[in-house]
Amino acid sequence: MSLEPSIFFDEVNERQGVFHRRAFILGGFAGVGALTLIGRLADLQLVEGARYQLLSNSNQFNFRIRPPPRGRILDRNGIELASNRPDFRVLYRKGEAKEDAADTLAKVAELIPITEQKQKSLLKEIANAPKATPIALANDLSWDDFTRINVRTPELPGVAADMTDSRVYPFGGAFAHVIGYVARVSAEDVEREKTPDGKPDRLLLDPGFRIGKQGVEKALDQQLRGHPGGQKVEVDSVGRVVREDPAGDIHAIPGKDVVLTLDADIQNRALEVFGQDSGAAVMMDVRTGDVLCMMSAPSFDANQFVSGIPSAEYKMLSDYDHKPLINKALAGLYHPGSTFKTIVSLAALEAGVDPKRTYTCNGAFAFGNHVFHCDKHHGTLDMHGAIVTSCDVFFYQTALVVGPDKIAEVARKFGLGQIYDIGVSGQRRGIVPDTAWKKKYFAKQSAEAQRWWPGETPSMGIGQGYTDVNALQLCVMASRLANAKKALNPRLIRSIGGVEEPRGSEVEDLPFNADHIQFVRAAMASVANDAAGTAFEFAQLGLGPIKMAGKTGTAQSHNYVSGHGQHGAVGAWATRDNAWFIAFAPYDDPRYALSVLVEHGGFGASAAAPKAREIMRVALLKDPEVRARVEQPLPLPPTNPNADTGDVAPPPPSDIPGAPPQGPSGPQLQNPNTTDQPT
Amino acid sequence: MTSSALTRPGQRERLSEKLTEIDWRLALVLTVIAGLGGMILYSAAGNNWGPWADKHLIRYGLCLLIMLGLSLIGLRIWFAAAYPAYALALFLLLLVPVIGHSSLGAKRWVFGIQPSEIMKVALVLALARFYHGLTSREAAMSWKLLIPVGLIGVPVLLVAHQPDLGTAILLAVTGFGIMVLGGLSWRLMTSAVVLGGAAVAPFVMFVLKPYQRDRLLTFLHPEDDPSGLGYHITQSKIAIGSGGLMGKGFGLGSQSQLNFLPEKQTDFVFSTFGEEFGLVGCVGLLVLYGLAIAIALRIASISHSHFGRLSAAGVTITFALYVLVNAAMVMGLAPVVGVPMPLMSYGGTVMVTVMVCFGLVEAVRVHRYEEMPSGRGSLL
Repeated sequence: MSLEPSIFFDEVNERQGVFHRRAFILGGFAGVGALTLIGRLADLQLVEGARYQLLSNSNQFNFRIRPPPRGRILDRNGIELASNRPDFRVLYRKGEAKEDAADTLAKVAELIPITEQKQKSLLKEIANAPKATPIALANDLSWDDFTRINVRTPELPGVAADMTDSRVYPFGGAFAHVIGYVARVSAEDVEREKTPDGKPDRLLLDPGFRIGKQGVEKALDQQLRGHPGGQKVEVDSVGRVVREDPAGDIHAIPGKDVVLTLDADIQNRALEVFGQDSGAAVMMDVRTGDVLCMMSAPSFDANQFVSGIPSAEYKMLSDYDHKPLINKALAGLYHPGSTFKTIVSLAALEAGVDPKRTYTCNGAFAFGNHVFHCDKHHGTLDMHGAIVTSCDVFFYQTALVVGPDKIAEVARKFGLGQIYDIGVSGQRRGIVPDTAWKKKYFAKQSAEAQRWWPGETPSMGIGQGYTDVNALQLCVMASRLANAKKALNPRLIRSIGGVEEPRGSEVEDLPFNADHIQFVRAAMASVANDAAGTAFEFAQLGLGPIKMAGKTGTAQSHNYVSGHGQHGAVGAWATRDNAWFIAFAPYDDPRYALSVLVEHGGFGASAAAPKAREIMRVALLKDPEVRARVEQPLPLPPTNPNADTGDVAPPPPSDIPGAPPQGPSGPQLQNPNTTDQPT
Repeated sequence: MTSSALTRPGQRERLSEKLTEIDWRLALVLTVIAGLGGMILYSAAGNNWGPWADKHLIRYGLCLLIMLGLSLIGLRIWFAAAYPAYALALFLLLLVPVIGHSSLGAKRWVFGIQPSEIMKVALVLALARFYHGLTSREAAMSWKLLIPVGLIGVPVLLVAHQPDLGTAILLAVTGFGIMVLGGLSWRLMTSAVVLGGAAVAPFVMFVLKPYQRDRLLTFLHPEDDPSGLGYHITQSKIAIGSGGLMGKGFGLGSQSQLNFLPEKQTDFVFSTFGEEFGLVGCVGLLVLYGLAIAIALRIASISHSHFGRLSAAGVTITFALYVLVNAAMVMGLAPVVGVPMPLMSYGGTVMVTVMVCFGLVEAVRVHRYEEMPSGRGSLL
């Protein structure tokens, strides 16, 4: 290695000069680089700073969903038909636990009973659940179990014990069809209610959340649901909660209370009187259109669906031939039978038929090559008598005089063949046949099939043939007859969140001669109160001056001729006639109208009328004005010795149930309240 | 400063004299940066000395001693050691694929050290020594320039093969920088830049491994890949951006405290710093780095020997590249290539490398008057 100094000074100076210049340039490059970085910093931290702060906060904070209490469903008097009860549960949040779920679950199972089988299914559920979705390990814990698990949660990663609301239906089955029920959220529900950016609604993923699946619970689900709150928590990058921030919590907005027009007492009594029978009962207030009772029997316990009904039980319910899962009041279609004679009479009167015109019934009516039967030899009857005794022969011939189109027109005006906006789905329209309907219905078949044959008209005259109605429609019909003026619509939802829904009485008047309606009403009063009336034996209310008017109906479920149908209450249950009774009361001042269907009940008078009577009694006795008329108060004993000790004798007790009606057959048309009625 | 060119013979060899010749301003700036590093590592650990801050500061203390020790070593010794060090580093680099220890999918370690780190210093020394014996004409344009191209190219390819793209780029750019400082003609410089630029596309498409290519391209659209590679960049930008002007405050960076920021103590420590100290803190930190670079370049320029100039400037380029590439990377301006922030990031290897570099810079300052052999025509 040479140690001689370099002596090429020119050379050295040139190299040094180049170095200096270029080092300066390099330094400049570094400066430019630094300025670029500072510019970028200013861009990130000043220009976009607010946005990144937001992103940082959304990283840092998370909201645990707090389900809102579901709105209650109340009857017209404020009785809870659906409410919430506290439910102590244990949740497992997968995202907040690092440890093996099986170990944690085993530890939890030491504290509260969880069967091995349940543990296995829970582990599967945990494995499949998204990270953000908590899983309920146990529900409905006792207070002891709840506290035991609560004090141990610090040692159980991801496990939290909390209280939530669980839906409860205090009346079990009585309202199951109207109110419906809530049940677990299905995958389709989650899919349907995705947020606009395609994420699942977190509320729906909460294990305690239930969604309305039937009836009012389904129809008003959004109003009942409310808005979820959030518990603000600070989370780390793997989602574990580091800290809670109660000041940042968002409070849940409870769902709105829904008040129905139903009356729990009437509804419960309706279910009670049906016993083992299958059928439906609908009652309306004929002044307002409010539905006081809408019951379908047999029913089921809606509470079972909240926690999830075992499939074996569900199968039993769905396989039972009495069809407990179907709301027969809305979805059950039946021939109206003789209850339809009210409509035929009215159509006849409107068509100018003289009500005094008589027909003679000798048990059958031959028309064309067919003989139409009647169940009795009624003899010679005018229209009043024919309604009271429910003579088929009279109405076969009357229907032929009036014709199907006129009858159908009146039937529609009285609410048959319609679907009502009562806030819940599931109504079936039924059929009010006429020539136009038949043409349309058989449009794909031959002209022969489309034609209305005269031989089809007699059947229509007694509510058979094509005519199909549901119990709500018949109740609307009875209400409109009872109201006599307004084309009442039924109203089931009285108010949502304190805001009243439109009344069913805010409608137009019926375009009928009031005398004609009055004639039919008088005949219906005789049905229940004349000794000759078909329902006389079965429709006595036993409430003194308060009388019921009604009309029986016994409708074929199957054609007798084919051998499938059985007249009356004989033969196999499923082949018997369907029994109807429509009614309103008090007959002199109608307030309540009712339709009762007893599926395969046999005769309308013996099967349906007694039930109608019992249901009607509850409604009448709950009505203070009606009750005042029934009770006829005793005069007060003298409280002031100086006062005139009057000698008014106490009136005799109100009349005996089942006693023959006083006065002439037919209703008392003046309002008895206007006169002080001593008996 | 205290000493002048006029000294008594042997005076400059005295230890006391050498100690006064050390640029203590540079040592102070480096210590302040390392102190800030310790502070932010304390914060990143949730206000704990462990597991990073304490070790970081102890390591820095040891490395400072190494730097001071190296600064006392005469330039002639550095000069003499240049080629042997390069040869050793190259040998170890060649050993890596054979007996190397792999970590995270890349073989970088042998005998407990990373040869690529030794190469960072050795390459600078070798190039400085080579250019020391080159005339300016030769340095501008001649066949002899193939030698530095080879000196640079072989280790760069070996390191890129490991694969350690960050270090390879660092070596290549540093080497090219020395060639420029040595006097490369503008024409060659321009064509090299153009050729290099043209080679980038096929290099990215065909030579890089898929994970490297993904890393390279993800930084352009980190939002497309929010949970994979883009997550690093996205969260880093959120951390820096959410710091705002003044920062969230010491120990209050939610992005780092809650682990949203990955590698918050190593490659992304600058983001942690930016989140807690904001624009003011970041600019202040960059000014400190700039100060260190400026002092080091100044030291390089006052050296009397070409070897001293080029070696000090070379390691300064390496240091500056570390800072620029890392800062650009965490701000989403450059691909994630795994280059740490020197003196701030937790990690011993880079700390040693950087402080050896500054030891060399200080040695150049202390021995700036030292006469150097021409070195011409001899490899040793």
